[in-house]
This record gives sequence, structure tokens and C-alpha cells, in this order.
Amino acid sequence: MSQQPAIATVDLTKRYAQLEKPAVDGLNLQILQGEIFGLLGPNGAGKTTTVSMLCTHLEPTKGLIYINGKEVSENRLFIRNRIGFVPQDIALYEELTAKENLHFFGNMFGLKGKTLQNKIDYWLNAFNLGDKSKKKIKTYSGGMKRRINLIAGLLHNPEILFLDEPTVGIDVQSKNVIIEFLKELNKQGTTIVYTSHHMDEAENFCSRIAIIDYGKIIAKGAPVSLIAQHDDCNNLEDIFLKLTGRTLRD
Amino acid sequence: MWTKFIASVKKELLLLIRDIPALSMLFLMPVTLVLVMTMLQDSTFKILDEQRLSIIILNNDTGSFGKNIVKGLQASKLFKVTTDHNSSVDGLKSKVAKGKFTIGIVVNKGATQSITKNLNREIYHQFPEEITRSVALDTVGAGVSAKVDVFFDPVIKYSVKQSVLSALREFSAGVESEIIYSTYASLFKQLLGVEMKKSAHQVQLVEIHEQKAVTEVTSAIPNSTQHNVPAYTLFAIFFIVIPLAGNIIKERTSGVSLRLKTMPGSVVPSLLGKTAVYFFLGFIQATVMFLMGIFILPLLGLPQLNIQSNQWTALLILTFAISMAATGYGILIGTIFTSQTQASIFGSISVVILAALGGIWVPIFMMSDLMQTLSRFSPLNWGLHGYYNILLRHWGIAGITTDVLLLLGFFMASVSGAWFYQKRKKG
Repeated sequence: MSQQPAIATVDLTKRYAQLEKPAVDGLNLQILQGEIFGLLGPNGAGKTTTVSMLCTHLEPTKGLIYINGKEVSENRLFIRNRIGFVPQDIALYEELTAKENLHFFGNMFGLKGKTLQNKIDYWLNAFNLGDKSKKKIKTYSGGMKRRINLIAGLLHNPEILFLDEPTVGIDVQSKNVIIEFLKELNKQGTTIVYTSHHMDEAENFCSRIAIIDYGKIIAKGAPVSLIAQHDDCNNLEDIFLKLTGRTLRD
Repeated sequence: MWTKFIASVKKELLLLIRDIPALSMLFLMPVTLVLVMTMLQDSTFKILDEQRLSIIILNNDTGSFGKNIVKGLQASKLFKVTTDHNSSVDGLKSKVAKGKFTIGIVVNKGATQSITKNLNREIYHQFPEEITRSVALDTVGAGVSAKVDVFFDPVIKYSVKQSVLSALREFSAGVESEIIYSTYASLFKQLLGVEMKKSAHQVQLVEIHEQKAVTEVTSAIPNSTQHNVPAYTLFAIFFIVIPLAGNIIKERTSGVSLRLKTMPGSVVPSLLGKTAVYFFLGFIQATVMFLMGIFILPLLGLPQLNIQSNQWTALLILTFAISMAATGYGILIGTIFTSQTQASIFGSISVVILAALGGIWVPIFMMSDLMQTLSRFSPLNWGLHGYYNILLRHWGIAGITTDVLLLLGFFMASVSGAWFYQKRKKG
């Protein structure tokens, strides 16, 4: 793991006109190159808004974002070529086959011809989907859809991969395949920024995490260190509940 | 840029081809509507255009009056005349009552004779007694008017009744003039021994110039095909707002839109690809509908849609503008609404309202003044007006400039509205 920051935010703030309080409130974050960084928090904590700003989709109200040392607002194209985004929803066309979907997203990344075809075949085989690639997405199981959803964000070999709840709603086997694959990808140098509600998954998967609530970071560090800092907590879930409370967030 | 555009077009085409209900709505619905509406409205348009009032005449008069009435009505473009030689007055009346004919006319026996005798008597009294003593004019039985009975279908309009009565008065005036002329000729011959010649110069004393004093709306009355084919082409093209808006919403709710926005480069090629597919879909719809008007409708006994070779360019330009307007409207609805259900309900209802306002269901010239004014705010009216200008008024490209500009303006306004809404929402 390099000590160079892949992502740095300075006083990152996002206010929505319809909300009284900011969704993200002066966030200062540093994610190192080669890290698997978990962004955890209850519903409405500001995780998705933060990822949306880091992915260049949302403009911050205030503050700066640096990706690989470049300021986002002035280097949008440079940054977009280096990041991959896997949304929480299955962001695929249900009426198209897996191959048709991947061809389309590959073309949108500017890939084409044999290069794209080879990449698609490689990833489909890596995720055990090669023989089902000509079936429409609507016929796939939840786990298969998640895997295609992930491949669509990987076609251009991003340096930084943003994953918004990549394992939500899938079976244990599919979850395991995805996590193992992401670990392998990280070993090859890809920085991963990941949001999740699965504390046990985050504890095992992430090198560092930040728990955010009401748009602010309330805890940050390696999962093992954080657990050690809280004597009354046995795992990340205990820390999460301790810091964010047991009140339901809808 | 080009790769992205082509990829987007290919993806949209695949999605569209696989969406059978949407394709059925975009093609089967307008084709069915054109067939049904053209057949339903054909007789109505014929009444406006070419169908004449049916008249049955029982001419019991053997003289010139009866003959002239029959001849005059037959020559008129307003009436389709059937002469009846066998019916009684009651029989003729019954035929009108049963709706077989709109009007029944009975010229009673001796009508010419009555007119002649009455006129003779009038003329006879104009001369001093010392002169009339020496001439012989048949005035026996004078004082009894010639009788013409007219039976009208009860549903017939007052104005139509008046036209029939006026026509009858006109024909009887003609006959009266002839009788007056021959009476004077007979008098002169008897008094002066002079044989009067019939004038060789039949000069019309009062010439009435019939000219059209019409508004632009009424100057081009179409037949059923000329109205329904362009009207339902427009309706069909505007219905692309439903699948287009649905498609945009689906992309947004599924996260595809978000994924695309985090990809390198602009989202413009992707949007252009989407727009291009729906835009060309409008062209295909128009082609199908126009070909139907040219080849299929005549097979069903309906009027053929005649398009002259010099009209195709104007039609192409206008259809281009209509497709743009519909696509822009679809983008606006797809941007504003959050669910496909909302978009399809609002989209279909708004298109139906705009169609009704625009003269698709009921032609503009049949609307009240207020509705005609309101119709000017519907983009479907601009399209229909443009098609009328090309197909009926033969105005060419210059004649559709305003409509094309309005439609392109509508496209610009819709797309700008969508952009501002999106920007505001994101902000």
C-alpha cells in the first residue's frame, strides 16, 4: 500500500435546497492508494452523497476533492478515466443480454472492437458467467445481476473503484465470490472505496473504515484498531451501534 | 463521441424492438385509428364536400313550368334529383318521411296553365279597354295560383330549406319571364301585326360574381383521408413521449443514468443516440401512415391521399420538426416525472388533450371561434396546419415555415425546460 493519497477531501460539504441540515458537513478524508476503504453509516448519514461527489456526479456546495493529486472540478475527464463506479442499484438494461449491456457500457468508456470483446470475455469467465452471457438480464438471479453490475464498472481497468453496497440482497456464495474477487483486484493495485451496511463484511474486507453520521465523520481507522479503542465493543457492529445509536433511521 | 453515439443508437433500437407493447401502441393504434376514423368520418366529410341533397320530384304539370323546375334542379350542384312518374302525392310524402329522400317536390297539374292565365290577366289589365277589346287572351280561370308542394325531412336545417325554396322561386321566375315575353309577343302580333323575334343576344342583366370570402381555416376543407392520415400521423408521433419518457425514467431509477454520468466524456452522445432513435421512429410512423393513405385506404373505397412529387421535401421538413417536438416533449416528461406510471398517465392524457385541441379528433374548421383560438397553442395544431398547407393549399416549403419554427421552438423549450429542471433538482 502506497502512502500517496488516492483521494483527499478538504472541508467537503453538500447542502440540498430542500433539506435544513447539510447532507455532508465539512468532511476531511484521506484514502491512500491501494486501500480498501469502507464508508459506513446509518441510512441518510451521507454515504451515497459523499460517493456521488467523489465520483464527480455531484457538485459539492463547499470544499475540495483531490483524486490522485488532481482537483476534481478542474480535471473531470482525467478523473473519470481513472475511476469506476458500481451503483447500489442494478444499473443495467433488463431487456438486453449481459454481453449487450457490457458492450454498451464498454463503448461508453470509449472501448471498442477486439479490445472490448476480450475484456468482456475475460470478466464474464472470471465471474463464471461466460455460458450465460447471451441471456437477458431480466432472467438472471440477484447474484448474477450483481456480478454483471460489478463488471460494468471494471471494463476500463479503473485505478479507483467506488462500490455502493455491492453485496446487498444476494446469496452467500455470490457475496463470497464478489468479495474474494475484489480482494484480488485490490492486490493488483486498485484502490477500493466501499459503502455497506454489513459490518462483519466491512470488518473483514476493509483496511480502514470511516463511520459517518449526519454528514460528519464520527470514527475513523483500521477496524482492528477501532475495536481495540472501545473496550466495551467486541466487533465493528458494536462500535457502530454505540456511536450511531439504536434508534431506527428511515 | 461517434462510438458512444452509435452504441447508444444500437442500445435504444434493441430496447425498442424488444418492447412489443410500446411498438404496438406506436404503430397498430394509429393505423387502426386512421382506418376506423376515416371510414366513420367519410360520409360527414362528403356532406361538407361533395354529397348533394337528395330530391324526389313528381311533375304532374305538362307545361314548361314543371319541365323547367326539373331541368333547373338537375343542373344545380346542390341536389341529386330523382324524377318520379308513378307515385301519388302520398307515396312521395312517405318516401321522404322514411328518409329515402331529403326533399320531395310535387308540381301540381296545370301549373303552367295557371301561371299563363294569371299573367295574361295582369298584362290584359295594363292596356286601355279600347285596345284589349280587339285582342283575345286566355284569362279564363285566372286567379288560381299554380301550386308546388314541397315536403322536407324534419331534420333538415332551416338554411337548406330556404335554399330549396329560393331555387324553386328562381326557376318559376324564369318561366314567368318567358310567359310574359310570349304574351306581349302575342299582343303585338294581334294589335300591330308585327311578328316579334326572339332576341339572339341572351344577355344576363345582372351578373353575380361568386367569390370565396373565407378565412384561412375554412379555405382548405379536407376529405376524410386528407384529414385523418396527417392527423393520426401526428398523434402517433406524439405518442412516442410515453416509451421515451418511460425509458428515461427507467434509466434514472435503475442507476444507469448515474453510472453514465460518472463515465469519461459528456452524456450528450448518449442523449443524442436516444433522441435520434425516437426521432427516426417518428419518420417511420409517418411513412407507414402516408403509405396507408396512398395504397390501403383506396382499397377500402375511401379517398386516396394524393401527394405530388414536389410536396415530398416540404413533408419531410415538417415531419422532421414534428418528430423533434415530440422527442423534446418526451424528454421533458421523462425528466420531470419520477415514475413510469406517472409519466405514461400524464403523457397519454396530455397528448390526447393536445390532439383534441389541435384538431385531430374534430377538424379545426368545425370548432367554435374560442376553440379555434385555443387550438393555436397546441403543437399538434401546428403540425396539422402545416400538413394542410402542403396537401390542401399546395403552399410548399414557404407555407410551412411558421409551423416548422413553432415546432422547433417547442422542442427547444421542452429540452431547455428539462435541463433547467434537472439542474435545479441536482443543485
